[in-house]
Amino acid sequence: MKIAIGGKGGSGKTTIAGTLARVLAARGLRVVALDDDSNPNLALTVGVPPGRAAALPVLPRDMLEERTDGSGQSWLELTIPTDAFIDRYGIAAADNLTLLVMGQPSHGGSG
Amino acid sequence: MRGVLRGLIAETSRVAIVDLEAGLEHLSRGTSRHVDTLLVVGEPYFKSLETAHRSFQLARDLGIPRIRMIANKVRTPRDEETVRDFAGRHGLDLAVIVPYDQSVTEADERGTALIEHRPDAPSVTAIRRLADQLLQPAA
Repeated sequence: MKIAIGGKGGSGKTTIAGTLARVLAARGLRVVALDDDSNPNLALTVGVPPGRAAALPVLPRDMLEERTDGSGQSWLELTIPTDAFIDRYGIAAADNLTLLVMGQPSHGGSG
Repeated sequence: MRGVLRGLIAETSRVAIVDLEAGLEHLSRGTSRHVDTLLVVGEPYFKSLETAHRSFQLARDLGIPRIRMIANKVRTPRDEETVRDFAGRHGLDLAVIVPYDQSVTEADERGTALIEHRPDAPSVTAIRRLADQLLQPAA
């Protein structure tokens, strides 16, 4: 189950996203809540104090590998398994829920 | 970099809940190709509902398999009627109506998670119903 929640700023989407994540986690599902909005409120809504919800650090170069397909399109991939990455960089919240803050507005690389 | 992280959504064995950047105009193949469900939050006034409608159109164009609407901050029966009428006329799949709830503001002011502040708040109860629906196999 991969669910995105969207809406205008102020619509309450972050509260709904975080609370939904908590409700699903409380039912025993392993849930990762991803903050694509650089909005610290998701952390608050899942119960992570804002001070603990720092965005991901710049990843070490050896954790990323550039791949290229036949048409010359290239992209970066993680060199470690996805779930290991989430365990390492995610922030643990209640009910076995993990928060991952994707926004890196100040030092994010491109795409 | 964000592209790499968005790739996690599809690859993780966990259930993924993604709080998207505000404004669905940012919705691109980048995130959308990794999700199976988009929940569009709208409020019961015309401009918000129009925005939600445009989000549905965009999400359909992007090929997201399941797109549903959440009506939030619904205060009155008239609000509810406005939402149901709009959703019906435009073919928007209305998943749940979340009532306007002072607990949301209270939790925010106290810096607490809503679900911890008041686990039985009307808004939380509505979100539990939403979870029930999401956990049912697609009809």
